[in-house]
Amino acid sequence: MSPILELHGLTCTYGSLTAVDHVDLTVRPGERHALIGPNGAGKSTLFAAVAGTLPASDGRVMFAGRDVTALPEPERARRGLVRTYQHSSLFLDCSVLDNVALAVQRRHRVAYRFDRPARRFRRTGAEALRHLDAVGLAGRAEEKAAALSHGERRQLEVAMVLATGPGLVMFDEPTAGMSAAETERFVTLMGDLPDDLTVLIVEHDLDVVFRLAGHVTVLHLGRVLASGPPERIRADEAVQRAYLGSARTEDVFIDAGESP
Amino acid sequence: MRAGPTRTGTSRDDAPVPPPAKSGIGEAGDRPVSRRAVLLAAAATVLPAAAPLLLGPYPVSTLTRMLAFAVLVLSVDLLTGVTGLPTLGQAAYFGAGAYTAVLVGVHVTADAAVQVLAGLLAGLAAAVVTGWVAVRARGIVFLMLTLAIGESVHQISDTWSALGGSNGLSGMPPISLFGGPSLLAAGFVYWWVLAVAIAVYAAVALVARSPYGRTLRGIRDNEPRMRALGYRTAAARYGVFCLAGAVAGVGGALWAAQARFVSPGDLSFEVAALALLSVVIGGKGSLWGPCLGAALVLLVRDNLSASLGGHGPLLLGLVFIAVVFLMPRGLAGVLGARRRRGSGGPP
Repeated sequence: MSPILELHGLTCTYGSLTAVDHVDLTVRPGERHALIGPNGAGKSTLFAAVAGTLPASDGRVMFAGRDVTALPEPERARRGLVRTYQHSSLFLDCSVLDNVALAVQRRHRVAYRFDRPARRFRRTGAEALRHLDAVGLAGRAEEKAAALSHGERRQLEVAMVLATGPGLVMFDEPTAGMSAAETERFVTLMGDLPDDLTVLIVEHDLDVVFRLAGHVTVLHLGRVLASGPPERIRADEAVQRAYLGSARTEDVFIDAGESP
Repeated sequence: MRAGPTRTGTSRDDAPVPPPAKSGIGEAGDRPVSRRAVLLAAAATVLPAAAPLLLGPYPVSTLTRMLAFAVLVLSVDLLTGVTGLPTLGQAAYFGAGAYTAVLVGVHVTADAAVQVLAGLLAGLAAAVVTGWVAVRARGIVFLMLTLAIGESVHQISDTWSALGGSNGLSGMPPISLFGGPSLLAAGFVYWWVLAVAIAVYAAVALVARSPYGRTLRGIRDNEPRMRALGYRTAAARYGVFCLAGAVAGVGGALWAAQARFVSPGDLSFEVAALALLSVVIGGKGSLWGPCLGAALVLLVRDNLSASLGGHGPLLLGLVFIAVVFLMPRGLAGVLGARRRRGSGGPP
């Protein structure tokens, strides 16, 4: 199967700091691909560059066989390449339903219609409610998003991004700040996603990672340290030293310089 | 200390059984509110409609001007309150509508419907031409660009001899409707302006409640997120800028129908600033609040100023400061506190 997402030598620099350093990555359709790495490994920068929020300094992003490096963020999202944010990014002054309906109505091509009130577009409303129901927020559809708790906001974020009808979703630490029960619900939700949906997920909770992911890539200091099935990553010595923190810092730096 | 925990305890007990409990509370709370809203709406329609029967010509013409100004304020609210784009340029489109209506009145026809339509098209056309510059920016830069547009158009009206220069355009015959006789009585002009203003209000309310209104509120709340959802936000902002231009153009035509005269002063910076002030006083995002704000602002400027020895602007400034500190959500926030529910849409 041809890959849905390919990164070729993707590089992002902030001044003299290279946050993402010639990263090559291949994600196949339907894969549950986890991206892990210690703080500052460049995971969020990589996400931003792939989504188009941040311009890449060098390298190419191929999505569904097409070079999207030059495309702005909305155009990538329209092709099905969407992301969530590490810190919930919602429409706080709008209702919970409106948050999801914004994603749905764009896909239904009614986002610019003003001939009828929004509630008369029943197909859009019903689908938005279905997405809310999937994350357990249907009962709070009419409340303002600002009234939601931190964990609920993360769930709304998930509902919103799934409502765009994506081909590939990049989740940036989706379970950060969720309670144990909410995390459990999230893992179940991930398990229920259609098989043709590809997921790229940055996650700190290694338990979640090893339960969900079929493929794990470890990023360290902006470079790919290791990539492979979860069992191999768990056994990988360089990863253990870099990520699980059993090494002294200077060893990590030396290894990171040598390993690719 | 006891009361606090017990209270939260009961509200938590309510929460786990949301469907029956909540809908019960909702309906019990909704019905009287909606009945009250119907009464309010009826009063809000009947009282203004009856005004010419109760008041003399001067107060009626004052009310007419308030209505025309309220239409301009609605256009500012569409940009500032709904979309989150504070603007100081709407007086330009208001002026485009007013000049067009007077020119149509002098040279073409006295039919008020034609004048309003011409004003609408003039405001729309002016916004289509100038808007693509303005929507490239947001926030304070957008504000400055709209200010620049407003000042440029004001300058054109002040110097172009075909528009009468600083003298403005006068000699507009009284309006007529659908081939009827001239409407000389202030009351008839008032009713016409009231009818159009209600129609514009309904149209703007529809836009605010429509999927497009939802798109605009999304842009107001979090534009980067809208882009991440696949929205071409600049196009959406351009669209609402053109709509607002058309609304302001209608406001200008209504203004001209009453004054039968237009001068550069009608599209000056002061008018644009007062329109924005009305939105802030009324409560941005609400539609009826800014309309009340418009009435208040015009009342202070045109009617109370004289009795204050010309210190109207000072009073307006004090009102503005008081509103910002005491009622951050404006008149709508105070009067509508009970009406408002959690649905981000305007009431």
